[in-house]
Amino acid sequence: MKKLLSVCVFFTLAGCSVVDAYLMKYDGNEYQIITEIRRDAQAYKTSCDDELTSTVNSVALADKTRLFMLFSEHYPHNEPTIKASIELDKIAQGLKTQYTNGGKVNPLFCKIKFESIETSAESMQKVIGAKPR
Amino acid sequence: MTIEYNQSLLASISSQNPDVNAAASQVNQYTEMCKAGQISREEYAQLLRDIQSQINIQASMAELDAMETLNTAINGLITIASLVA
Repeated sequence: MKKLLSVCVFFTLAGCSVVDAYLMKYDGNEYQIITEIRRDAQAYKTSCDDELTSTVNSVALADKTRLFMLFSEHYPHNEPTIKASIELDKIAQGLKTQYTNGGKVNPLFCKIKFESIETSAESMQKVIGAKPR
Repeated sequence: MTIEYNQSLLASISSQNPDVNAAASQVNQYTEMCKAGQISREEYAQLLRDIQSQINIQASMAELDAMETLNTAINGLITIASLVA
């Protein structure tokens, strides 16, 4: 029985080192930025009828998703978050480009874009917040 | 290849993954908005690309979630093994 237990302990310890080597621990700054992205998108979607305000908002949010992408980029063992941050930034940069290119932006399009960012940020926040302490 | 053909493909999707069904429904909704002239073709194309991005985000987060669960289970087993030993 003791022999069996030793084998179990060996394998669990070996497994732990493997997982720890591939999983970034919880980082309060990372969690804060993704929370701010979610909060901002939630607030900004209500101003889509005001084009000037939405232009400013789209630039501000795209700056924040870019910050999040760059923040995550070189953290070791953080590949899933890095991939997700790149995709989130694509969504935000698309809206910013629509506004800064000078054309008229449809308020419905604006609302859908901010909602997409909000939903994605929420699903990321949930998993990022559960990273091991 | 017509819009209707692609919409029929969307209608045929019945996945056990609720995220896949939600994405199919969202694509259909945007297609109807574009057909009704509520959004432009350019906006429509961008929204479809956003759905692809959202699917990639969900996949990455599912991977991270699985890693976290694995880590929690292993740490729990180590604690139990340490107590018994």
